[in-house]
Amino acid sequence: MTWDTKLIEKANEIIELYPQKRSALGPLLYLAQEKEGYIDDDSVVEISKLIGITEVQVRSVASFYTMYKQEPTGQYLLSVCKSISCEINNSRELINNIKEFTGLANNETDEDKTFTFEEVECIGACGGAPAVQVNYETVEGVTPTKALELCKYLKEEVPKVIVADELQEKFGGVKSFDWGIEDNSGTSSTAPGFQIIGTAEEK
Amino acid sequence: MSENIKFTVDGKELEGQSGELLIEACEKSGIHIPRFCWHKRLEPVGMCRMCLVEVETPRGKALVPSCTTEITEDLVVDTESEIVTKAQEGILEFLLINHPLDCPVCDKAGECPLQDQTMAYGPGESRFVEEKRHFEKPIPISEVILLDRERCILCARCTRFSDEISGDPLIEFIQRGNKTEVNTFPNEPFRSYFSGNTVQICPVGALTSTSYRFKARPWDLKKVSSTCNCCSVGCSIELNTSQNKMLRILGEDNEFTNQGWLSDKGRYNFDFLHSENRVLNILNKSEDSFNEISIAEATVKIKDKINELDNPNIKFLIGSHSTNEEYFVINEVANYLNKDKFLSRDSSNVYFSDDLLFNGYFDDEYSKAKLEDLDSSETIVVWCEDIKDNLPILYLRIKKAVKNGAKLIVFGHTNTAIAGLADFYFGKGIVSNKFDLIVNPSEIEDLKNNTQGKKVTVIAGKSTVFQKKESLDKLINYLNESSELKVFNSFSKGNTFGALQNIDEVKGLNEFCNEFDNDAKNIVFTVGVNPVNSSHFAQPIKEILISSDFVVSMDLFINETTELADLILPTTSLGEKEGTITNMEMRVMKQNKILPAPGSTLSEWEYLTAILNILGGDVQYRNENEINSFLVKEYKDQQQVATFDNLNKPSNLFGVINRKEININTKDLHEDTFSLLMVRRLYGDSSTQINSPSISMLGAERFIELNSETAKKFGIKSQFGNLVQGSNSILINIDINEFLPDGLVVAPINRRGFENVDPSKEFEITEAKNREELSVN
Ligand code: SF4
Ligand code: SF4
Ligand code: FES
Ligand code: FES
Repeated sequence: MTWDTKLIEKANEIIELYPQKRSALGPLLYLAQEKEGYIDDDSVVEISKLIGITEVQVRSVASFYTMYKQEPTGQYLLSVCKSISCEINNSRELINNIKEFTGLANNETDEDKTFTFEEVECIGACGGAPAVQVNYETVEGVTPTKALELCKYLKEEVPKVIVADELQEKFGGVKSFDWGIEDNSGTSSTAPGFQIIGTAEEK
Repeated sequence: MSENIKFTVDGKELEGQSGELLIEACEKSGIHIPRFCWHKRLEPVGMCRMCLVEVETPRGKALVPSCTTEITEDLVVDTESEIVTKAQEGILEFLLINHPLDCPVCDKAGECPLQDQTMAYGPGESRFVEEKRHFEKPIPISEVILLDRERCILCARCTRFSDEISGDPLIEFIQRGNKTEVNTFPNEPFRSYFSGNTVQICPVGALTSTSYRFKARPWDLKKVSSTCNCCSVGCSIELNTSQNKMLRILGEDNEFTNQGWLSDKGRYNFDFLHSENRVLNILNKSEDSFNEISIAEATVKIKDKINELDNPNIKFLIGSHSTNEEYFVINEVANYLNKDKFLSRDSSNVYFSDDLLFNGYFDDEYSKAKLEDLDSSETIVVWCEDIKDNLPILYLRIKKAVKNGAKLIVFGHTNTAIAGLADFYFGKGIVSNKFDLIVNPSEIEDLKNNTQGKKVTVIAGKSTVFQKKESLDKLINYLNESSELKVFNSFSKGNTFGALQNIDEVKGLNEFCNEFDNDAKNIVFTVGVNPVNSSHFAQPIKEILISSDFVVSMDLFINETTELADLILPTTSLGEKEGTITNMEMRVMKQNKILPAPGSTLSEWEYLTAILNILGGDVQYRNENEINSFLVKEYKDQQQVATFDNLNKPSNLFGVINRKEININTKDLHEDTFSLLMVRRLYGDSSTQINSPSISMLGAERFIELNSETAKKFGIKSQFGNLVQGSNSILINIDINEFLPDGLVVAPINRRGFENVDPSKEFEITEAKNREELSVN
């Protein structure tokens, strides 16, 4: 869908922050993602007009970074770390369990749009490996069995809001350090940073 | 200033310039380092790692990419060590992991850097047994280009070209890692005037052109260097033929002109050579149809006609596709018929078919510009017809100069396509809708600040047939007085400068129409020209040709002009004739022959000498070379004349700059009211383009441009409409262009549908609701 005047206004405020318009590309993609849950073609067209680069240049950046989603994700995005610390702490079994439970392969979304499953590189929680994120809320020290329970919980309880601490308590184990970011805006800059699929606000 | 640097490669001491890249410095000294992504006209990116070499560092030897490493004093490099060899083998093995085994069906095979370098530097064996990556094979990314993503090795040459060089980045890398592919955005094809260059520089067969696909194997091709005649830049090209068919045209890297690049028009406008519509025999009109006659019959017919009409007016309408040698002979024939012996008139009556021809700035008081002057100019000033459409490679040269720091000043209203590049765009408020300068140039602060006392190159020409020369004079003379000025006369069509140099006096189409005397007996020769199409004077010329007593046309096709002729003499074209052409710098370059003349076609000079001889003249040219030896006598610099021998020397394929007297005699149009600005687009409805199937569709779109204020005035909200003038109604796309001043509507002159539009008459624009309505009609 095309952008309404309010969104365009917001976009222009962001563009103002940069000496060159095209530098605003990253934050504007967050706007698009916040709006639709993924980077749709219409938003790409809007952004290309706003910052004066071609559509395919916008798409090039949007498709390079994996956290800009190319397609709508399910209600719960499960990002499971497959990098080395988690790997040596048995993330393989955990991954297999989740795959089996959800019936999804890497980067797939199920039909009723509940889960999207993705294998990701190190999410910086090596101290609490293996680590899993649900809508980018990190849970650490997850065992293969706990992972299954986590999935079941999400599927059956369908929690509206995902909060890392709660999940950690229910399904986590060893934790590296306290993750809670007090500031909900995602970054400390005035430009919008990465937003967690609309659930962080309630934390 | 760059200084000399000494460095060592493979034990040999070499010299280079500071700032030079290692790969380039080695190349100059004859050491070839394999590469895929590096290209000397593009910014280095270090994408492919094929160019790894070992250099000595304080921490021991290290592998570095030679395409991103600058040489430094005493650098010690090894390009053939065991480690380097291992790296090269490794890189190739990686590249081939996902590379399909397509060579037997791949256009690139035989001239493929991946094939060649795998042979030279590869491991010889693959250890990869897994399934390769698959993509749909080939996808069209524009009307002329196909992309096979499986073959792509992600060197970023194509994407860099479209971003850095041509400035239309419509292709990019999409996705990442193993999934990375080159692609376009959905519904936004790679429509670029320069897209064919990406096919030429792609180091594999990932990008192919529709016109050459599956046509030939490189080892079957016959090749010859030549010069493109699509516009007056005169790009160096290589003609590739097989079995007497032109199959491909490639750009050659001529430092002074095109630097390797070509416009797609120059590259793909050749299928017409083998079109079944081409006229291959002399056609004589009797009643309303044409019948074939021999050259002997034809010349007799011309002679009889001239005698029968008893002292007729004889006029020559000439075009821009003849060679210098042909213009020389045209001049001789015209002089013979009109001045010398036959008719004793005081003028030779040669008219050059370009609406925008004007007297130009050729006097000694104006220094003439060369393309390389653009690079050393502090400021470039442009006021002429649309450069991107009419002199596409000049556009690339300007873009390059601007990238390297030159200031660009553009005057309205035709060059809106480069307005985005410009530091200053002087549109409304400075240039009136009738193309007068409203403001005195010395009062334009930004102009003054950027030109006064500076090195300036101006590209000057009429933007429209209605523009008064006076208005251009104001600007050029101001610049000539206040800056170190060099001038390009922007005559964009093919070999215009060859015509100007070789014909004693050149007049324009306006003069042709005005000087025509309906009461007298009239004979008109048209030589490779179709002014009844795509000209402001189309209608009057058509009437003149109809009312003339005898019309002889030399051309390739039956078109709007030749169909009015009494006699059609079919001629030769690119690759079928030899000769020299002169570009906008007055650089004389060679066109070479590689194809036989088809059917009973002859070159223009052959017809003309035959005609001259039957009328009693005694010239006996046996070939173009002989003509050339006569015409070079008039060049100003006799040390450096452009003879065939001279030009065909490898050292001189760049051409020779040389000048002759130029005598143009044109007057401004009387009327100066026009409502519609008609401009020439790169693609259109020329008989060569519509008879070249691989690009004929590119000139199909009908569109107009106006600014949103003007659109409002016409009450247009949608992108589709009708241009209505009297009973004539054309369905059009409507493009909003805010660089245009209020009230000015721009339409293409060389597109089907616009033939009967009269820019001096009122018109209406009405809305069409949608595209469907657009196509129904
Ligand atoms: S690109 Fe080269 S190596 Fe690849 S299939 Fe074509 S010819 Fe063979
Ligand atoms: S398509 Fe060709 S030029 Fe473009 S990135 Fe791939 S290999 Fe390089
Ligand atoms: S390796 Fe899994 S969080 Fe770092
Ligand atoms: S040529 Fe140097 S990295 Fe590709």
